[in-house]
Amino acid sequence: MSSTDRSATGGRANRASTGAELLSITGLKKAFAGVPALRGVDLNIRAGEIHGLLGANGCGKSTLIKILAGFYTGDDGEISINGVEHKLPLGPRGLSDSGVAFVHQDLGLVPSLTVLEHMALDSNGTASELHRISWQQERGRVETLLTRFDLNLDVDAKVDTLSPVEKAMVAIVRAVARQEQTSGQGGSLLVLDEPTVFLPREEIDVLFALLRKFKAQGDSVLLVSHDLDEVLEITDRVTVFRDGSFVGTRNTAETSRQDVVEMILGSRDVHTARQKSKVRTDIEPRLAASGVDGERVRSLSIELRAGEVVGVTGLAGSGFEELPELLFGARTWRAGTLTVNGKEVTLPTPHEMMSNQVVLVPSDRKADGGAQELTVLENLSLPFFSQFARGWRIKWKSLRKQSEQITERFNVKPKNIDLELGKLSGGNQQKALLGKWLQTKPTVMLLNEPTQGVDVGARREIFKLLREAVSNDMAILCATSDYEQLVELADRVLILADGEVREELFGSEITKESMAEAIYSQGAK
Amino acid sequence: MTNVTDKPAAMASTTRRKGIRDPERFALLGVWVVLIVFFVFAVPNTFPTTANLSSMLGSQAVLLILALGLIIPLRAGDYDLSVASVFSLSAVTVASLNVNLGWPVGWCALVAVVAGFGVGALNGFIVTKFDIDPFIVTLGVGTVVLGLAYPVSNSRTISGVDPALSDVMLAKPFLNIPVDFYYAVILCAAVAYVFSRTAFGQRLLFIGQNSSVARLNGVPVTRLRRVALMCSSTIAALAGVVYVGTTGSADAGSGAGFLLPAFAAAFLGSTTLSVGRFNPWGTLIAVYFLVTGISGLQLMGAQQYVQQLFYGGALVIAVILSKIVRARSDKRRLAQLNN
Repeated sequence: MSSTDRSATGGRANRASTGAELLSITGLKKAFAGVPALRGVDLNIRAGEIHGLLGANGCGKSTLIKILAGFYTGDDGEISINGVEHKLPLGPRGLSDSGVAFVHQDLGLVPSLTVLEHMALDSNGTASELHRISWQQERGRVETLLTRFDLNLDVDAKVDTLSPVEKAMVAIVRAVARQEQTSGQGGSLLVLDEPTVFLPREEIDVLFALLRKFKAQGDSVLLVSHDLDEVLEITDRVTVFRDGSFVGTRNTAETSRQDVVEMILGSRDVHTARQKSKVRTDIEPRLAASGVDGERVRSLSIELRAGEVVGVTGLAGSGFEELPELLFGARTWRAGTLTVNGKEVTLPTPHEMMSNQVVLVPSDRKADGGAQELTVLENLSLPFFSQFARGWRIKWKSLRKQSEQITERFNVKPKNIDLELGKLSGGNQQKALLGKWLQTKPTVMLLNEPTQGVDVGARREIFKLLREAVSNDMAILCATSDYEQLVELADRVLILADGEVREELFGSEITKESMAEAIYSQGAK
Repeated sequence: MTNVTDKPAAMASTTRRKGIRDPERFALLGVWVVLIVFFVFAVPNTFPTTANLSSMLGSQAVLLILALGLIIPLRAGDYDLSVASVFSLSAVTVASLNVNLGWPVGWCALVAVVAGFGVGALNGFIVTKFDIDPFIVTLGVGTVVLGLAYPVSNSRTISGVDPALSDVMLAKPFLNIPVDFYYAVILCAAVAYVFSRTAFGQRLLFIGQNSSVARLNGVPVTRLRRVALMCSSTIAALAGVVYVGTTGSADAGSGAGFLLPAFAAAFLGSTTLSVGRFNPWGTLIAVYFLVTGISGLQLMGAQQYVQQLFYGGALVIAVILSKIVRARSDKRRLAQLNN
């Protein structure tokens, strides 16, 4: 299936014609515990270009950035900057001292500190602890820096009073300043890892203006993004990764949007045959919410019926990832009404929702899914303590039996329920936790990225078990950015953008291409 | 099978689940035994005597009660630094009401315990309502409570408490051991039961390990944290009552010396029996380990200050030990898994 279009290496052919290559990576490999994340990728960035790096989740682009930034050590491959080779491993600071500046998605700013304080932290980074900071001098330096990039910002403003785009720009200017200070030269590379996901559409142009300014200076930018239209708008060339492999580099001007989508997804994939589900329209919806306002979600309405799997997806930051927790009452409702099985729930809390037979499988297994240091038995028993008790006394024997049945039925390995949950692999943890929730006989199951970090085999098993539960009149909401999963699992898919449902796909309309198309075109509006 | 890195791994894989699984769990118990044997030989005339045994077991029952209360919120991940002050307030309340106002001692004890419960409720309310670190809240509230203990006692030592109370605590020693020791052991069994056998105990464990998981599993986190802080304060007040019973007098400084030992015992206890978890029987072992060390050293002629050295040192060492023990057993389990 991975027949790539290496033949059409327009980018590669052009590479020889233009001169200076700033960053050149060839055959970079990285594996985690034997599982390859990068299978030998190439990336070439010229001086003075804006280069886009695209690919689906898990394609290896963030692994690459983390190797360059020194968070991970690369296994094999060649990296050179301005013709100077850098041996692997790169060390804890990665390429930071060689003229590469990194801005990560979380921006790395402290909300309660001012712009000036952030910048001063950097310029005094290597000074001794007793070094006296001259605030006047710092202020002058920072103001000059901001003017240089035409940024009109109050240096005494606390970061949390800035708009999202201002925060992003502070982070970028800060990274550039830091880089200039350490390497003391221009001709550098700025790496932006998903800088636009939290930005309102109208502010992205402001950010792009800043990037063009860098380009004009002769600096290069590597822009990692999910947003196809943004990348096509600003970049000179794009490189696409898929499943840890290099797919190709293209000149943006000569490439159509459709081409890039195909490069990202691979050759058109065969639609998995899926049994038709029986959606129960004769009984009340399992869960109905209307006018819901959350952190990102805006006046959203949704209905989940018995016997259906509803997928929600969108770009990061579109609000889809918030929906399961919101409907479970684990996040604050700003507005909205909710009925579960015909009963109105005025103030949804996890406790309240569980007593209405609604359960949540959160995306972050380590932080929210299960207590890693407690045993499998304990984790599988948590929702059942009231049920399996005689008076105050917990019936451990029955709980033990039930937990053994769950691990048996869901094929959780190793089969030792006295082992700490954290000692199980991600897939086995997820199977155990899903088993626990299915054991509570829920009528609604809210899933958030249910197969993240789960291997293919376990994934199949999980899908089968979920399908089985749905055919017994359960309803599932599945929020994910994994299109493949929705193709296999969902009866309908809601596409979110800016916290609103923008499009709905049904049955056979649900393909990877249709979803990618809908998501990227919605993101562009 | 046996070519694994270290010996315990091979041992554990052959003994399977039962038997000497995780030998680290019994390290403290072993050290305690070694300590006892050492003192038996070092001070043979005074250490292994009924009188010394009786005084060791009886004198620190109060500390054990206090520590047992403390591990309840600790299980949920919350520190309660106000227990020593509640202890003092309770002691002076009983003494003052009984001696100065002539109330029946039973009523005095009831008032003291209710006051302790009230302090716990206040702690819990502030901690959960405003989402503040209990470390700070209980430090502040504890200081206020200690401040109240002084006017209650007129800043004096009140003695001459109704001997009816001491009769309950000290009368008829059973097997030559004061009865307050048995009260403490009964409380220990009760806490052990609550921890391992009730939903409350298990839910506290989840709150302490990962409160987000607990919340998403429908556990009423806020309410249970409040209840846990009420438990520790109420038990601290009970310890104060027992203290008055054993000494017959009280002053506002009574509890001051108990705070650090109680924490030392709680943390040291968490390195034994079930490693990494605050547990009552481990706490009991820890308390008497500390008492053995101190009384043994004092019998050998050490000065009073050896207490501070021993308690303080034990607390720090306990915390270091729990890290090391945990890392070791983790490593071994991984090796087992890879087999």
